[in-house]
Amino acid sequence: MVCMELSGTASTTVTAREAGLVACTRCTRAWPLGQQTCGRCGAALVSRDRGSLQRVWALWLVGLMCYVPANTYPMLRTQQLFQVDESTIIGGAVDLAHYGAYGIAAIILIASVVIPLGKFWAIAFLAVSVRKTGGFASHHRLLMYEVVEYIGRWSMIDIFVVAILSALVQLQGLASITPGPAAFFFALSVIFTMLSAQAFDPRMIWDVQAADDEAPDNG
Amino acid sequence: MAETPPPVAIKPVRKRGLSGASFIWLIPLLALGVALWVAWQSYTSRGPVIVVTFQDGAGIAAGETKLKYRDINVGTVEKVGFGAGLERVEAHIRLKKDVAPYVDASSVFWIVQPEVTAQGISGLSTVLSGVYIEGSWDSEIGQWANTFRGSDVAPLIKPGASGLQIAFRTTTNGTLTDNAPITFRGIQVGQVGRAQIARSGAFAIVEALIYEEHRHLVNSSTRFWDTSGFSFSVGPTGAEIDFSSLATLVGGGITFDTFVSGGEAVLDGEVFDVFEDKESARTSLFTVSEVDPLQISVIFDENVSGLAVGAPVELSGFRIGTVDSLSGIVDFNQFGDSRVRLNVILSVQPARLGMSGDNTADAALRLLQDRVANGLRARLASASLLTGGLKVEMVEVEDAPPARLVAAGQDLPVMPTTQSITSDAAATVEGVFTRINNLPIEELLNSAINVMNSAEGLMSNSDLQEVPGDVSTLLSDISGLVTSDDVKNIPVALNATLTRVEGLVAELEQQRIAESLGKTLVAAAEAAGAVTSSVEGVPELVAEIQTVAANAATLEFDVLIAELVSLTSSAEDLVSSPETAQLPVALAGALDQLNATLKELREGGAVVNVNQTLASARTAADSIAVSARDLPTVIARLNTLFAQAGQTIEGFNKGDELSRSAQGALRDIQQAAKALEKLARTIERNPNSLLLGR
Repeated sequence: MVCMELSGTASTTVTAREAGLVACTRCTRAWPLGQQTCGRCGAALVSRDRGSLQRVWALWLVGLMCYVPANTYPMLRTQQLFQVDESTIIGGAVDLAHYGAYGIAAIILIASVVIPLGKFWAIAFLAVSVRKTGGFASHHRLLMYEVVEYIGRWSMIDIFVVAILSALVQLQGLASITPGPAAFFFALSVIFTMLSAQAFDPRMIWDVQAADDEAPDNG
Repeated sequence: MAETPPPVAIKPVRKRGLSGASFIWLIPLLALGVALWVAWQSYTSRGPVIVVTFQDGAGIAAGETKLKYRDINVGTVEKVGFGAGLERVEAHIRLKKDVAPYVDASSVFWIVQPEVTAQGISGLSTVLSGVYIEGSWDSEIGQWANTFRGSDVAPLIKPGASGLQIAFRTTTNGTLTDNAPITFRGIQVGQVGRAQIARSGAFAIVEALIYEEHRHLVNSSTRFWDTSGFSFSVGPTGAEIDFSSLATLVGGGITFDTFVSGGEAVLDGEVFDVFEDKESARTSLFTVSEVDPLQISVIFDENVSGLAVGAPVELSGFRIGTVDSLSGIVDFNQFGDSRVRLNVILSVQPARLGMSGDNTADAALRLLQDRVANGLRARLASASLLTGGLKVEMVEVEDAPPARLVAAGQDLPVMPTTQSITSDAAATVEGVFTRINNLPIEELLNSAINVMNSAEGLMSNSDLQEVPGDVSTLLSDISGLVTSDDVKNIPVALNATLTRVEGLVAELEQQRIAESLGKTLVAAAEAAGAVTSSVEGVPELVAEIQTVAANAATLEFDVLIAELVSLTSSAEDLVSSPETAQLPVALAGALDQLNATLKELREGGAVVNVNQTLASARTAADSIAVSARDLPTVIARLNTLFAQAGQTIEGFNKGDELSRSAQGALRDIQQAAKALEKLARTIERNPNSLLLGR
């Protein structure tokens, strides 16, 4: 109640850390700073996760490493009679566009290329932006983080498509579809970017804002 | 909730060196390590790249086309491009590392694509999967090479394959088929490769492989012949069609046999002749092998038909070669006019010229040049009178204008010619046929048809059909007359008369009758003469009838029938007339009366000049005997007449003349008969008149 009144009325925001509190990230119960474990759910209480950025960057790097073979190796291996066709993600999308299926090509391009690349960029931007002050509103950054975390799971749609096709199209000899090596790497890439996004501690966004707010006051 | 937690001093988080580094960094390090290891692994397991060049791409695609060795993938085409100058297609093939060392300089590569031949269908799997490149190399590691020249077709002899490698050469006019099987007793024991034409163009040559297990079947005495196609023959055992197998019927084939023993083993590279058939292969064992023939050209001024490719070329009657080709030639500059001349190219077998030493085309040319300088000339001669075929003959011509057998530049040497001796049998035969053709056969046939029609009409004439019946009746009447007792009695009666005359004479001799009898005897002689003359009319009648017959032979035919009928009936009337029937009776009566007279004379005893009477009476008796003897002759003549009439019945006409003659003749007969009767009555009335002459 107090907090709500404060946030609604006060011109400057006081963070929990400044207020000497630490919130449990699992059950959101606030504890005094210095408390080690949550008395309610038993989760470890950390005011700021010191290793967060390291984990973000490490997993981000692995995700990016996996993303390279995911695009260079063939995603699908289509066998029709005696003809074996292997296509990469972008190659498949280009083929679809070539045959006139612009909608599907756009979906594949957005789901498999634009979104993963946007995630990499967004995570990197967030990780960088908590270190130094920038001209990007903290609320926008939080929104960006939430979007990244929400949308991350939808990147697996490619893997779903490959898995379903592989399971359905298995007509002995006539036609068969098997996942290529790119599917494995693409899945790894998605997993590692999701982990990377989860490793990010969004509370750090506000530390930067606090520094931003203090700077004019001090100056 | 009301208590406010105490303020806490905020210390900025600070990292100090690597001590604060999280273990999470192990994950990217691990991933990096794995990636690097995989990269290294794939790099080191890669084989080398070789470049194979082909005449054309034939469906080779980068990244897809495989290199196969014994049907196992051993590489993939990575890149397809062109060599320098776009001359050949280059396929860059990534080999698998384990087979790479074996791909040495002796390796061969070819493109496998679907192929349908008479021997079968091959490469069918490539219809759907696309072509692949097949490689072949031996199992020895040799010198490394990375550039190869690929072939579009599979090589006959693959590296490492064993077998007897020989070559075939065609004989004259022989043919060879690519990839034909070599069979022995129906079993394929080898294969022929791709045939090539020899540089001179005279024959085709092809390499062939006899499989290792059948190597012993071939030795230096072995003869090969072509079994392609089929032969059809009709002989005393019936029609016969003969071909080895369906495959060789369509695609050709070669088979062989060793006709004689004692051949030597054959080494790789031996060249065999392929003969046209088994017979020529067999006979070739006993003739000199034919080498490169000498080709010379002959230009004949006459453009005669009848000379054909394959016609013999003879020297002094001995066949030394064949006609290879025929063509017309027009060259105003060379001959001075634009006439078409016959250009014949002869193929002369040097071996048949009987030269000592080497049997080469050059030696044969030198020999012929020498002979041509001495007057050897070529001419056309008839090879067969029946077919009009021609041959080329080389003969020595005396006083021939000088000529030489030389080759001008690239052209073949031209043989000089002389006057040809072609008996134009064809033209003669044609003349005969023309004459036969001009015969008026149609008119002849028309006439014949008309004759037949006339004859048929005549035969079916009812009058003519009645003739035989009438004639038959006449003959039977005559027969009845002749066989009548009266006629038979005539000789008996005569005999009796003569006996009596003899007796009378004898009495006269005894009684010495007075001389006055002489006049009587003269009269008797006259009477006898009258009798004789009347009887003599019968032979005249016969002659007349004969004349009639002769006339009838010349007469028109149509008229004859009715005439003959009437003649026959007249004759019948005559014969059956009572007068005729009484004739013999009358004669008999006359004789009886004569007998009586003689009897009276004898009894009366008043006979004078017996000797003269005797002579006259004898003469008269002789005459009667003669006339009686003539009767059968008359009948025979009549018979002859009818026979003649029967023979000539087909060609005669009606004629009033015959009718009249015949009737006249018959009237004469009647008159003669009446005369006889008259004589008989006279004698009867006055028996003395015979003796007294009144």
